This record gives sequence, structure tokens and C-alpha cells, in this order.
Amino acid sequence: MSNRITAFCCNYTLSASEAALKKEGLIPEGVTLRPLPCTGRLEIKDLLNAFVEGAEAVVVVGCEKDACHNLKGSVRAEKRVKHVKGMLKELGMSPDLIEMHFAPRKASEPLIRAVEEMSQRLKG
Amino acid sequence: MIIAERKPLNEIMDMLKGVSRLLVLGCRGCVAICSAGGDKEVEILASAIRLGCKKQGMGMEIDTDTYIRQCDPEYIEPLKERGRQYDAVLSMACGVGVNFIADLCPGVRVLPGLNTSFYGANLSSGEWKEMCAGCGACVLHLTGGLCPVARCAKRLSNGPCGGSVGGRCEIDPNVSCVWFAIHSKMQQMNRADDLMEIMPIRDWRTAGHGGPRSRRREDLLS
Ligand code: SF4
Repeated sequence: MSNRITAFCCNYTLSASEAALKKEGLIPEGVTLRPLPCTGRLEIKDLLNAFVEGAEAVVVVGCEKDACHNLKGSVRAEKRVKHVKGMLKELGMSPDLIEMHFAPRKASEPLIRAVEEMSQRLKG
Repeated sequence: MIIAERKPLNEIMDMLKGVSRLLVLGCRGCVAICSAGGDKEVEILASAIRLGCKKQGMGMEIDTDTYIRQCDPEYIEPLKERGRQYDAVLSMACGVGVNFIADLCPGVRVLPGLNTSFYGANLSSGEWKEMCAGCGACVLHLTGGLCPVARCAKRLSNGPCGGSVGGRCEIDPNVSCVWFAIHSKMQQMNRADDLMEIMPIRDWRTAGHGGPRSRRREDLLS
């Protein structure tokens, strides 16, 4: 079984469903895709809970900073990811277990790459 | 308002060793407004503790709640009974709330989730600054409304000291010298001459140096 990774992304950066991406072998089985209306909706609690619920690592993929559909959603998400990195450190965990990525509209590649990069990190 | 910040999670996890039933208890007063101990922060801390427990292989049942205020007896009344169901209550109120629970709820083990920092103003979202020291003998009418007790590193009553350079304090060039600001303010108000009067030596007993402070108002006592 591949590593358990939770990938949050917004509806604008997602072009295919989790099932379709898995069917094509583009993301490993252990990945859970959690699309949101906007990554700005993500709260610190949601990111922590992803770990509590079993994720070994978390990636967040939001719109490119200057092209966010909701103007500042992905920038807000980035700040929260940074905050969670600090909290992981305080708990004696690696801050590299969570990462923020920015992607153009309807492009699956950045999400696939983000997941791949995190899988490599976990294999370390 | 009272400004506080969450204690480091490793410190909190250390406090919680041996706890298997925990109540994380927020307060909707000052600490909610400064985003340290309101409903949202309670949920964040509970999640962080769950993750900490998972990492350390600790089993812990965690409940959450937020009271309107932890510094008024009527709001913490239910905790007298409820608190006994837990091995510990992690209060996310300021130190007043923690003390009050400890005083009023025998048999309840209360722990602090926050470090209470100062009385401050909200400069902008996510930024607070100390503005009052609660010294009990306000001199703001003499200083253009700017507090030398809270905002001068040396708490000088007659400043500035020799370290004031270009409106900056000698402790750090990023800190403004409040005595420079007091003189500027008084000048703007054509009251600079008022500052020629030497402020007498302060009586620090009202600031807590005479022991814990309390206040009673006969007209309000029941
Ligand atoms: S430089 Fe100004 S603020 Fe700093 S210690 Fe001296 S009088 Fe106080």
C-alpha cells in the first residue's frame, strides 16, 4: 500500500476526479483527494484533523497566487499551512509533512507532481 | 483587552502526561477577541492534542466547550460538578480564568493552555501591542494619553532618558520612545510646559508591589 496522503485542492485546480486519476495510475491508491470550493475555506483544524484521521502527510493545492478565483483564498491557505508546519514542529514532527502548492486552473499535473513529491519525501 | 497566546504544544503535551479524560475549555472574553482561546482556538488545540497523543501513542478522550467568561462565578458554576468527570481541565482563558476555576472548583485539576501576556490594543488583524500596565495609579492626564508605565522600557515617570535617539528607544531601534512621543503630543496640544513639572516618585503598591490587589464596591455588594 502506498503512503496515506491527503490532498486538498480547490474546484478550480482540479480537472479530474480521484477515481479517474487513480484509474489512470496518475496518483497512488493511498491518496485521498479532498476538493473544496476554495482552499481559503481550509481551517488549521482541518489540516490537523487530516493527520489525526490517518494521513501521513498533507498537500494543499490552490490557485496561483495572483489568479485565485476568490482573490486571496490560496494565499490564506498558504498562511495556514505555514502555521501548521510550526505546530508539527512543536509536536516533534517534521514540518515537511505538509506542503502548499499553487497551480493554474484546471491543470492536474501540479497536483499529481505535488503528491509524487510528497510520496518521495515520505520514502525519504 | 487581555492579550494571551497559546503555550507551545510540547509544553502542553508534557502537562497532559497521565491524563486520559480532558476538557479543553475556552472563554469568549478577551482571549476569543485576540484569537487565543475562543471557540475556534479550542477546536484547533483539541485537534493538535489528538495528533500529539497519536504520535506519542497516548489514549485520551477529549471534550471541548467554551464558556462566556471564565472570570465570573455564574459562568463557571457548572464546572464545579462537570469538571470532576475529567482528569484535567485545560483552560484557554487568561490566568484569571485558571485561578478562578482553581479557587471555585475544588477537586477539579485545572491547567493553563495559554500564556497571558499583557493588556493591549489590536493594531491590525494578528497584531497587538501593550498599552496599559494596570498599575492602579493612572497618569495619562499628565502624559498626553500615552502610558510611560506600560510603554517605556524603564517605566520612567520623567523622561526621556539619555538613550532616546530620533524618537527611538535605546533597547531596540524598532521600538518607539514613548517619552519622545509624549513630548511631541504635548507640543501639538500646546501643553509642553506641563511637562516641566516633575512627576513625584511613584507609589508602586497600587501596581501589586503591596501584595495581591482587590476591589470592593459597597453599593454593588449583595
Ligand atoms: S529611550 Fe524612551 S522609552 Fe526607551 S527607556 Fe528611555 S525614555 Fe523609556
